Order: sequence, then C-alpha cells, then structure tokens
Amino acid sequence: MPSLNPTKPEVPQLIPAGVLLQLSIDEVKPSFNNPRHLFDADQLDELKKNIAEHGVLVPIVVYQAKGQSKFSILDGERRFRCVRDLVGEGRTGKGGEPLKLPANVVEPPTKIAGLLYMFNIHNYREGWELMPTALSLKIVMQDLGTEDNKALAKLTGLSDAQIERCKKLLKFPEEFQELSLDPDPKTRIPSNFWIEALPVIDLAMGTSETIRRMGRDLATGKLVEKYREKKIKSVIHFRRIMESYEINQDDLPAREKVLRRVEEFFLKPNLETRDAFDEFVVDKRRVLSALAACDGFLTELQRFRLMYTSNDEERKNLQIALRRVQDYCESLWNALEGRDDPEAQQDRQ
Amino acid sequence: MTRIIRSFMAALRYRDYKPRPLTWLAAKRWVMQFEKNDRRLAERLLDKVIYISESRAREILVQQNAALMKRLVAAGLRPKQFIYVSVHDAGSSSPVMLNLLRDAAGLEKMGCRFVDAHDSMRLIKTMNEVGEGALIYVDDFLGTGNQLCGERDFVANIMVGTFSEFVLAPSICEEAIYEISRRGLEAFTGHVHSKAERPLHENSPLFLQGEKDRMELICKGINRVGPLGYKRLATMVVLYRNAPNTVPAILRGSQNQTPIRGIFPRSTDLPVPRVI
Repeated sequence: MPSLNPTKPEVPQLIPAGVLLQLSIDEVKPSFNNPRHLFDADQLDELKKNIAEHGVLVPIVVYQAKGQSKFSILDGERRFRCVRDLVGEGRTGKGGEPLKLPANVVEPPTKIAGLLYMFNIHNYREGWELMPTALSLKIVMQDLGTEDNKALAKLTGLSDAQIERCKKLLKFPEEFQELSLDPDPKTRIPSNFWIEALPVIDLAMGTSETIRRMGRDLATGKLVEKYREKKIKSVIHFRRIMESYEINQDDLPAREKVLRRVEEFFLKPNLETRDAFDEFVVDKRRVLSALAACDGFLTELQRFRLMYTSNDEERKNLQIALRRVQDYCESLWNALEGRDDPEAQQDRQ
Repeated sequence: MTRIIRSFMAALRYRDYKPRPLTWLAAKRWVMQFEKNDRRLAERLLDKVIYISESRAREILVQQNAALMKRLVAAGLRPKQFIYVSVHDAGSSSPVMLNLLRDAAGLEKMGCRFVDAHDSMRLIKTMNEVGEGALIYVDDFLGTGNQLCGERDFVANIMVGTFSEFVLAPSICEEAIYEISRRGLEAFTGHVHSKAERPLHENSPLFLQGEKDRMELICKGINRVGPLGYKRLATMVVLYRNAPNTVPAILRGSQNQTPIRGIFPRSTDLPVPRVI
C-alpha cells in the first residue's frame, strides 16, 4: 500500500500514450458519470458557436478501456457534446468533411485515478446523493492508507465539511448504507438522513439504558422505520431533538424530560418528531430570540448616541417612539410578573 | 382445412410459450374470435412473429457471449474480470437469462462474477475487487432500451475502476441499439429487431396502410391505452418466457383474457388462478 504524505500525495497519474487521433463522434463514449447538471446551457451554446466557426482547437483526453472499441472521455465532455450536437444538425468541416474531435489518447486510469476523477465530477453535480461519494472515499482511504482530512481534501477536491459528512456516513453498517444506494428515489433513504440521525442515535445510546440494551443497529432501524412511515417528516427534524437537548442545558428537570422523550421516540413507532419535541423548543426558542432582540435593541440605540440630538422636532418624535417602547415593555413586565391587566393596557393605548 | 393446418403449425412453433402453452385449438380459437374479414390479416400478423424459444435464446446467448469473451481475452482481460449484471428485479427476465447463460456457458467455473444491478453495495465491492474489466448487462429483449439504460446510468454513478460495458441479449430493437450506443455501450445480440420487420409499425412496408389501420382499430378495442404496445413500438419478437410489453394488443389479448383471448398473453394478462 503506498504511503501518503499530505503535502505530496502519491497518486497514480494519467499516463499519456502519446497518440493524437482525430475521432468521429461514434468512436467516443461519453463520460460514464452522467454530467448533465454540469453544464450551463448558455456557456455550452457559446462553445458550440466557437467550435462551429473554428473547430475543436484543444484536443479532448480519452482512453480505451480493454475490450472496448470506443474511446472513453476523461476530459472534454463539453467539447464532445457540442460536436455531437453539430453533427446532429448536419454541420461539416470547412472542406465539407465530417466534423472530428482531436483527442489525446492516454492509458486507462488506475482505479484510484478514476475515483479521483469521479470525485471532481461529483463535486459539480447537483442533487446527487453523498453515499456513493462516501463509499468511494472509503476505497481511497483504504488504498492510500490515510484518513487525514487535509490529504483527502487535496486529493479529492472535497471540502473538509464534505469529508466529515462522508465519514459520518461510513460510521453506519453496510446494511444501512445500502438503503441510500437504492436506485429507486422513492424508496431510497437520503444520505442526509444518516448524517442528521447520527447525533440523535449517539445521544440515545449515551443516555438511555433501554436503547443501549436494544443495540445501535436496532435503534437505527427504528428510526428508519419511522422515516418510512412518515413519522419523521423531514430529516431536518432530527435537529429539533438535538436542539431540545441543548437548549435546556441549564434546566436539569427539562433536560431529564427531553431524555425520557428521546427514549420514547425510539420505542413508540407512532410518535412524530414535532409532536414529541416542539414543546421543548418552541417556547424556549421564542424567549431566546426575545433576549437576543433586547440586546440588539440596546446596542443599536447606544450606537446612535441619541442624547445629543439638537433638532426639536426630531427630539419630540424620538421621545414619542421611546414612550411607546416603554409602555409596551412595562405591560410586558407586568404580564411576566403576573400583574397583567388588559383593560389598563387598553386605557393607555 | 387451411386454417386447421395453420393452427397446427402455430401450436408446433409456439408450444413452449411459458405463460400459457399454445395448442392448435387455442390457436384456431384465437383467429376465429375476429370478424371473418379480419382473420386472414390476423394470421398474416401471426406469421410475422419472431419467436425465440428457450433453446434458441440459450444458443444465441452462448454464441454471442463466446464472441464477446474472445474479444475481451484478446484485449488482455481474464474471465475473473468479467462482471455479469442482471438489470431487473429477481424473477424477471434478466436474471433468468443470466442464469441460463451462466449454466450453459459454464461461467461460474471460469471465475466470472454475477451481480444484480440493484445490489449496489455488492456491485461496488465487486468492481473494487476487480478494478479493471468488463461489465456485461444481460437481458432477454430490449424495446426502447429505457429500462436498461436507466439501470445502467445508476450503475455508472457508482462505478469504481475502469470497465468496458456491453449489453448481451437474444434480441434488441433498433431504437434500443440507438439508446445504448449513445451511452457508448456495445450490443452483442442474435437479432436486431428493425422497424421494417414490424407489420403494424408506421415505418414498416409489410402491411398496407388500410390493413395497419384496421389492425390498430382491433388493438384499440382490446387496449385503448397502448394498442400497439409500449411507446407504439409494435414489436413482433416473442420470447418463450413472456411476450414483451411492446407487442400489439391483439397478440396479448384483453386483461384477464376477457373478452378477447390473446395468443401470447403476458403472465400479468392472465387471470389469477384460484388457489382456495
């Protein structure tokens, strides 16, 4: 197994075969990753016009897989598509000859080189599941003998956050990973499900004896069932569970209640995420937002240095506005003290 | 008398059709259910059926596979590097064809590998182990090619290593040949089913326009949604295991075979047998 120095990764490079060919469209196999999301239509049109006028100036890079008569594209998918479209439109070269693609032929990439190429494709794709990327990353980590994020980022072009997310996916057993490789998008479990569920599973395993006895896989399976039964309506709702736990960090009784609810959530198939956890989050979140708003309000007012306002009319307007704030704050204060008197509040208005 | 002889001949030709084996009486009954003027047309249509029996399917697969293997070996690959991929659910035609080929050609003994395209994890692992080789998608018949291409596009997204890709099937429609070629896959098949071979296809010269219109009208009476089969392909290839969903409705008959009986009903066209 080759060693890997993060600053100088030993990655097999593409080996030029030293041949420049003029290929017809029929001799070229498009990139096996369907990269339709890669291309901006306007840019593609611009390139097509350019190729129609001048031909393909920069050769594409291709290789020939063993046994295959066509050449697979490694670099130059856009140029290929443009020429294919032009041929489809009946365009020919200036001398009336069929349009051809100049192509530099290289040796077929090694497994790792191919994977790294694929990473670059995936980086630009939209709406693609992360699980295949994670599994490819696993192969890269195994073959190159490194799990170092910096080295992996340098090799794959993935960001640190993406690598971390992939690593989270790889923490799940294969039987769960497979659920995100389901070709049918209707039954596929999105990769984000695992990433969002992971802290919840960790929390339950770390705090509930019952869940611990149940075992990690069974507990994970319970969440999958819930998701399939639409009792977890969105994977984002897992955050509500963690928020319920974290938001109550200074309130021990509330936190105990949250943990009991987490346990229930795993054990009761019909308990929906929002039904179970909204009560812990919504009130708390309102108060926290109000506290932040008070701080912000004060900071802003102080920043304006309003006491030096010289214009009489402006000063008056400001005083009216402050009075309104004061009145509202007083009524709120009274309400919080339990001295709420709606009629008195109306009188003031 | 001629009709009886034709019925006997049909029964002889299509006797091993699995969903419902054909008898001469059933063949005669199929023709006789149409109006008198349409019977000759129905018989002419039946004559154009390209039937692929089990033995013929096996023969084509083995033969085409041998040609493919020869090429791959000449290119420096070994059978251990060949991954045969079935592309549909268990019990459907693709795994059945793959099993047929595997047993007939002794692929297992040679060390070839077999994976279901839906088993993505196993596919990734197998590709990772092999690293470089050939992916051979096996099916019985390709109509539009959309289904196989859809499966293949998914496989392409999880591909690990360098693989050449091929499609192996007893019969492939010209429409599917176009689709798979666009993806750079190469087809190994015993029969390319052209539009010209399909009497009810708009591009076929086999029937006069008036005859096509009459047949389509009958088909519409049987199946209003897809009288000429999926995407109006009007294919005439029938495999011993099942007729494709691209054949004209007159060959398949009505759902549950009432009121019109088909001569090649798909297994899903037949009434569910009562077991209790």
